[in-house]
Amino acid sequence: MSNRRSRQSSSALRISDDQMIDLVSKLCQLLPEIRERRRSDKVSASKVLQETCNYIRKLHREVDNLSDRLSQLLDAVDEDSHEASVIRSLLM
Amino acid sequence: MKEEFLKKWQMGLQIYRPLIDNTSVSERRKAIKLSADVAMASLRKGTTCWSRALIQKTATEDNFLVRQMLSGIKAETLINKKLPKVMCHRKIVRRSKKILRRRQSRSAIEEVAAKARKLVKKKTQGLRNVVPGGEFMSNDVLLIQETLDYIVSLQTQVNVMRSIVDAAEAGSERTAYYLGKLKFAIEDG
Repeated sequence: MSNRRSRQSSSALRISDDQMIDLVSKLCQLLPEIRERRRSDKVSASKVLQETCNYIRKLHREVDNLSDRLSQLLDAVDEDSHEASVIRSLLM
Repeated sequence: MKEEFLKKWQMGLQIYRPLIDNTSVSERRKAIKLSADVAMASLRKGTTCWSRALIQKTATEDNFLVRQMLSGIKAETLINKKLPKVMCHRKIVRRSKKILRRRQSRSAIEEVAAKARKLVKKKTQGLRNVVPGGEFMSNDVLLIQETLDYIVSLQTQVNVMRSIVDAAEAGSERTAYYLGKLKFAIEDG
């Protein structure tokens, strides 16, 4: 009932509920936190979206951290050393 | 997808190769990250909104790198393509909806439903802040589709970078260990 009424009032940004449900369930499959839960647990859309934001931020932090470690590694080795060539061959 | 990312990332780092020995650690870090981002975004060949937005954003930080890495894949169009501006429009719609809402009286069920929708809207706004180009995606369906693709790409980026870093760290430790042993043996005898 309330769905029908809201559909009439907000036509500008209206999207089908089925589409949203489908997309949200696809998001669930990607998020490690939610995947680990028991199947019977229902997860609300807003929780999924929140977890998605958190997950993306976590991935960003990891990329930063990995870039950090890599730049440290390149810095720590002597130019002519064997370690330098190992790292460079991996990367370049 | 992993191999493709690695190849493109390596290509980006090759561009920095002559400079890498003479730059500071933080500059190197930036170069590593930027090439990784461009590599990740270029895999999509301009077919997704987030990848175009990321390339444009990186181009503002290092135009030269982006052009070099994308040479051959319509670099000019990707960098200069204007992203649609729908922000102002959305604000106006939101404000008029608010006014409309105040005028309507509501039942308890409608209140709950409205609160739930409001929460979802808040969370999708949060999503717009983390996905590149998100602020231009007024359509929620598009936003989530882009998010799905962005997450998969990020996972690839992280996995490849992590394997390289782990290998490099293990390699250098092992090498250092053997070098240390060797040094000790030489000094001793």
